[in-house]
Amino acid sequence: MLRISDLTIEYSSGGYVVRPISGLDLRADAGHLVLLLGASGSGKTSLLSVIAGLLTPASGSVQVGDTEVVGLSGSALTHHRRHGVGVVFQAFNLVPSLTAAENVQVPLRAAGWRARAARDRAAELIARVDLEDRAHHRPADLSGGQQQRVAIARALAHDPPVLLADEPTAHLDYLQVESVLRLLRDLADSGRLVIVATHDDRLKPLSDEVLDLTPSAETTGRAPTRQVLEAGEVLFAEGERGDRVYVVESGTIELARHRDDGTEELLTTVSDGGYFGELGPMLGLPRSATARAVDRAVVIGYSLRDFRDHLQPSSPGALLSEAADATEAWAENISQ
Amino acid sequence: MWLLSWRDLQYRRRRFAIAVVATGLVFAIALLLSGVSSSFTTEIDRSVAAFTADRWIIPVGAKGPFSNANAFSPSEVIDSVKGAKQVDAMVMNRLVLGSRDVIVFGTEINGIGPRATAGRNVHRAGEAVVDTSLGKAVGDDVTLGGTRFRVVGTTTGHTIFAGSPTAVISIDDARAIGFASQPLATSLLVRGAPQAVPSGYKAITNDTAVDDLERPLQKATGTIDFLRVLLWLIAVGIIGSIVYLTVLEQTRDFAVLKATGVTGRSIFRGLVVEAVIVAVAAAAVATVLALVLGPLMPMSVEISTGTYIALPVIAALAGMMSSLVGLRRALGVDPALAFG
Repeated sequence: MLRISDLTIEYSSGGYVVRPISGLDLRADAGHLVLLLGASGSGKTSLLSVIAGLLTPASGSVQVGDTEVVGLSGSALTHHRRHGVGVVFQAFNLVPSLTAAENVQVPLRAAGWRARAARDRAAELIARVDLEDRAHHRPADLSGGQQQRVAIARALAHDPPVLLADEPTAHLDYLQVESVLRLLRDLADSGRLVIVATHDDRLKPLSDEVLDLTPSAETTGRAPTRQVLEAGEVLFAEGERGDRVYVVESGTIELARHRDDGTEELLTTVSDGGYFGELGPMLGLPRSATARAVDRAVVIGYSLRDFRDHLQPSSPGALLSEAADATEAWAENISQ
Repeated sequence: MWLLSWRDLQYRRRRFAIAVVATGLVFAIALLLSGVSSSFTTEIDRSVAAFTADRWIIPVGAKGPFSNANAFSPSEVIDSVKGAKQVDAMVMNRLVLGSRDVIVFGTEINGIGPRATAGRNVHRAGEAVVDTSLGKAVGDDVTLGGTRFRVVGTTTGHTIFAGSPTAVISIDDARAIGFASQPLATSLLVRGAPQAVPSGYKAITNDTAVDDLERPLQKATGTIDFLRVLLWLIAVGIIGSIVYLTVLEQTRDFAVLKATGVTGRSIFRGLVVEAVIVAVAAAAVATVLALVLGPLMPMSVEISTGTYIALPVIAALAGMMSSLVGLRRALGVDPALAFG
C-alpha cells in the first residue's frame, strides 16, 4: 500500500537548509493505523506533506499503491491529491463560507461531479461521521470535534485508499478526541491505511504500527567511545540523528551548517577540552550542523546521562540554559 | 466552482456591498461625465441641423459661422452666389441675460433658420423664439441686448457652447442690437449647393459648422475623457483591492483547496466570477444613480441607451482586469500551507 524508501526531506528556513527526515524507510499496509510519533520539528507533517503530494522531497521514493508520488506533476499530481490520499488537517481547515455539506462537496465538484451527485455523496459521508443534523451549518457553528469529523468526511470524498491525519486531536477536548479516534480506527478497520501524525504517545494503543521520528536519547548503558578523525573527516552530518555528546580530546572540530544557496557557514570550532553535539540527543532533534575534523582529532562520545553525570556535575543548569537558548533560536528559525 | 464564489460573496457580503456601492458611485460619475461629453456633441449636431441650411458662407479668414467676428455687408455677396436655391443673411450676437450667456440669431422672417417647436415662428420685429432652457414660455417677455421681446415660440434642446440657450429674432432686431442697425451679417445661410461664391468668401458644409462649435469645447471634452479614464482605473482599483484582500484572507483556504485537488485555475476562475459579479452589480447601481442624478445636473446630460448597455460589458471587463491582481497570488499558493 505505502512504500517509502530512503526518503530525505529538506527545506529552506531562515537561509539554512533544514533536513527533518533523512534516509527514512517505511512500509505500511491497508487496514492498518500507523502512528507517526514525534516532537515538534521532527518531520511528521513534512512526511505527511510528501505522501500527500504537497511537498517534493530532496531524494527517495514514496509509493502509494502503484503510484510513485515523487515526481508527479500536472494532472497526475491532481489525480493523486484527489483520489490517492485524503488529508485531515490539524486546524480542520474547513472553508468558513461553506456549510459542512458544501465543504465535503468541494473536492467532488472540483473533480467534475454534477451538483446533485456531489450533494448525495456529501450527504452520505456526513451521515457516516454522524453529523446529519449539522450538515447545513457553517464551521463557525460547529464544535471542534464536529469540524474535525467534517474534515474527515471531506478527506473521504473520493474514497481514497490512504487517509492522512495531522495532529487530529490537537484542538479537541477529551470527549471529542474519543469520537474522532474511534472514527479513524473504524476507517482503518474497514480496509484503509490511516496514518496519524501526533506528538501524543497516548494514542499508541489505538495503532497497529508506530514510527517514532524522535528516537529517545539513550541516557545510559553505553560506554564512551573514542574516535580518531583524520583532517576533513565528518563525524556526523547535518540532519542525522544521534545520541552522543562529544568531547574533543585533541585536535579541532569545526561545526558548519548548509545554507540554502548551497554554501556552508562555519558556526564555530571546538578544540581540546570543548564539547559539542549535546542539543540533538537532549531535544530529540536531528543534528543541526555537520561536525568535521579540521586536523587530526580525537573525540570521545558520551551518552547524554554520562555526559551530565560525569563531565558537568557542577553545572547541569548551565547546560539546560544553553540548551533552552539554542532551542529558542532553533524554533525561531523553523517558524520563519 | 460557482458554489465557492457565490458562498464567498454571501459570507463577505458587507465588504462586497461596500465595494459595489463605492464602485457604483465611480461608475455613475463616469456615466454622467460621458453624458455631459455626449451632450456637447449632440447639442451641436442638433443646433446646426436646426438651421436647415445646406451650406454656410463666411469670409475666407473666418473659421466658421459661430466664431466669425467680422461682419460684412451681405447684399453684394448674396447677389454673387451662383447656383444656390436660396441665400439668407444671418447675424449672431452673444448676449448676457442675468448670469447666463444667450446666443441670439437674427434671421430673415420666413427665411432659412431654426423653427419653433412650440408656438410659432417670428413674424415681425419685437418677437422671439427662445429655447426652453432659458426658462421662458410662449407669451413671456424677454429682454435681449436691452430690447424687450415677446416670446412667440420655443425650441427644445437648441443650445450651444455647452448649454447656452439660443434665441431667434428678426435680422433687423439683431442688427439693431449688435450693429446699430447697419445692414451687416456674420454669415449667410444657403439652401442648395452654390457653384461659385465671390472672392474673399467661402462656402462651408454643416460638418465644418459643427467643427466650429466643437473647437471651443475640445479642451473640456478632452479633460472629461481623461477623467473618465481615471475613474475607470479607480473602479478597477477598488474591485482589485477587494479581490486582493479576499485572496490574502483566503490563502489558507486556497492551500486547502489545492491540497484536496482543486486546481489553481479553478480558484482563479472563482476570483474572476466574484470580481465580475461585483462589477456588474456596481454597473446596475451606477445606472440607477445616473438616471436619478442626471436631471439634477446643471449641465445637460445625455446618456445614450447604447452607453447604458455598454456599461455592464465594460464593467465586466474591468472586473476581469481587477481579478488579475489576485492571479499570481492565487496560483502561487503553496498547498503545503494547509498543514501550517
